[in-house]
Amino acid sequence: MTALPSTIFGLLLASMFLLGFLTLRLAARGRQQQRAIERLTEALRRSHEYAEQQKNKLAQRSTLDTAKDEFISTVSHELRTPLTSIRGALGLLSAGVLGSVDAKAQNLLRIASTNTERLIRLINDILDLERMDSGLAPLKLRRCSFYDLAREAVDTMTAMADGAGIALDLTSSAPRDSIYFDADPDRILQVLTNLLSNAIKFSSAGSAVSVQIDSDINSVLLRVVDQGRGIPLDKLEAVFDRFQQVEHADASKKGGTGLGLAICRSIIQQHGGAIWAQPNQSGPGTTLWVQLSRSARASDTAAPSTIEVSARRGEGLVLVCDDDPGIRVVVAEQLRQHGYEILEAGTGEEVLAIAKQRAAKAGAPSSNGRHAPAQPISAILLDLYMPGLGGWETLQQLKASSATSGIPVVILSVIPSTERAQLAGEAQGWVQKPFSENLLLAELERVLRATGGTGQILLVEQDQQLAQAMAGGFQRAGVRVDHACTLQQAVDRCLLGAPDLLILDLVLPDGDGFSLVDWLRRQPALRTLPLVVYTGREISAAEMLRLHLGPTRFLDKAKVPHGEVEALALTMVHQQPNPTAAPVALTA
Amino acid sequence: MRLILIIDDEDDIREVAALSLEATAGWDIITASSGAAGILAASDPERRPHAILMDVMMPGMDGPTTFRQMQQNPDIAGIPVLLLTAKVQGVDQRRFAGLGVAGVLFKPFDPLTLAAQISQALGWKD
Repeated sequence: MTALPSTIFGLLLASMFLLGFLTLRLAARGRQQQRAIERLTEALRRSHEYAEQQKNKLAQRSTLDTAKDEFISTVSHELRTPLTSIRGALGLLSAGVLGSVDAKAQNLLRIASTNTERLIRLINDILDLERMDSGLAPLKLRRCSFYDLAREAVDTMTAMADGAGIALDLTSSAPRDSIYFDADPDRILQVLTNLLSNAIKFSSAGSAVSVQIDSDINSVLLRVVDQGRGIPLDKLEAVFDRFQQVEHADASKKGGTGLGLAICRSIIQQHGGAIWAQPNQSGPGTTLWVQLSRSARASDTAAPSTIEVSARRGEGLVLVCDDDPGIRVVVAEQLRQHGYEILEAGTGEEVLAIAKQRAAKAGAPSSNGRHAPAQPISAILLDLYMPGLGGWETLQQLKASSATSGIPVVILSVIPSTERAQLAGEAQGWVQKPFSENLLLAELERVLRATGGTGQILLVEQDQQLAQAMAGGFQRAGVRVDHACTLQQAVDRCLLGAPDLLILDLVLPDGDGFSLVDWLRRQPALRTLPLVVYTGREISAAEMLRLHLGPTRFLDKAKVPHGEVEALALTMVHQQPNPTAAPVALTA
Repeated sequence: MRLILIIDDEDDIREVAALSLEATAGWDIITASSGAAGILAASDPERRPHAILMDVMMPGMDGPTTFRQMQQNPDIAGIPVLLLTAKVQGVDQRRFAGLGVAGVLFKPFDPLTLAAQISQALGWKD
């Protein structure tokens, strides 16, 4: 054999090998693409399925809500109708419309009238509580001045106080215009007038009732101090239960329903706050305390706690759009000071142009390669009322284009988000004007974190196998999950931003679930977190109270399989307004 | 002299309301026990009421339906209608307010101030 044929043979062999290799590579790439397409199709199918499931669940829930609503409404109507005749007849008779009535008969008529009024109040109060408990009275939160609400309550009750010979005054330790908080003003007013009415009722003529308001960085505080007969120590807590009065005779003597403080507590708890009674330090009488968090959506600043939180600096490029250059400059400057980079736009059209241009440049280096790729926009702050393309249309166009739909948008508007529910659903954040710098920063930070990929559900569970199984279940439903094995991991995760739901095992290697809940309760942004306690440990009624955060459920590991916990958790998560939750994270 | 038409299916409530308005404001009252009877009563050109006080929940035609029928009739469409309802929930109130009635009053009403409430809702100064 000469060298030539052997070389040819070798070359032939090599090229065959190469050809085979290339074919294999191509086939492999084809398979890869095929798999990617399959994965995408599967993800899409799941997301459709999931959307369908959620739609059904929503429909079911709204049917149930309507039925409850209808029932309460009907009972209310059926009780009121006979009372209308009774109240009317008694009122006319005792007013002497049909001629004068002798003193004894007059007294009987007065008794009948007073008790009719009491019955009417009772029906109103029961309905009120029922509505709150069944979630039929959602809070209409907006930024309120605490001082103005307290002032209004005091003004409303002044006539009653004057009539009873009681001096009523309001003092504030903080500048009156500095105490703003998020609340449903009608509901808070209902609480304050109720507390004042109680204080006046149980004070004797010539004494004083004082209202003191106060605030710290996280919460507002109100005290109603009376010099009345006081509440015995063993009744301090019980007065907040339904139909509990200090003396049984109070219901008839004072005309109360025994539900006033239960309603107050219900309203305050709905706000994530606390209400309690304390005997006065010096002298007779009682102090009623109300503590409310200043911010319902995001904490103004990190709460003081045993866990150190470093002052965070903002990061990212924020596009600020407002047709008022004054507002634009102020907002831009505030954000710059906190480390954000700023782009400004004066119209909706400009926002769209800038966002599209940035999206096109981002990721791709410019042609000559000398410049770094353009920094993508992290968030857009958008004014709602603008000439030309309004905020609403701008938002819709941003969301309609795939290049810009992923950019979180925070609406800046004089109207509260609750009045534009649909809009609030499409935007990721909402700040009502006029806003404080802290509120704006907190909301922006919340939005940036929420879209930054932290999980919606935090699963605190030391059993790795169980945790994996549950996490898998949630991922299949398209919900992001973070898993913490220890107390410290759970705390660290919460500091990154509030999850939508916490699933908690009480037994943890470095502590117990109680200490985590205690810590969460001290965090304004976390104290109303929905919670599922899923544990094998037995829980007493007193412990259940200690473990209460927002909507809280207790499930026994021995009785409830984890699949059911996942199903419950998913319904709870989707009851929470969470505009940032994407049904399926596509990761092809 | 004001003439008020009260439409309510409950005999007792009609009587109490009529007595209350006669006694406290001195108004003249006509009553009807159903929406249909109410429309007939309001249509009498000799005794055209100045205002109509009408219950919401009635068998047959309810208050809102009766109101819409009245709006179809040019003779009586101009008479202000106040709804009287035992439903106090926000959803109900908003539904009624959307109808275009002159006002919504609540049961149980106070017989001594009912006339004043009506006057206030209608902007009557006398």
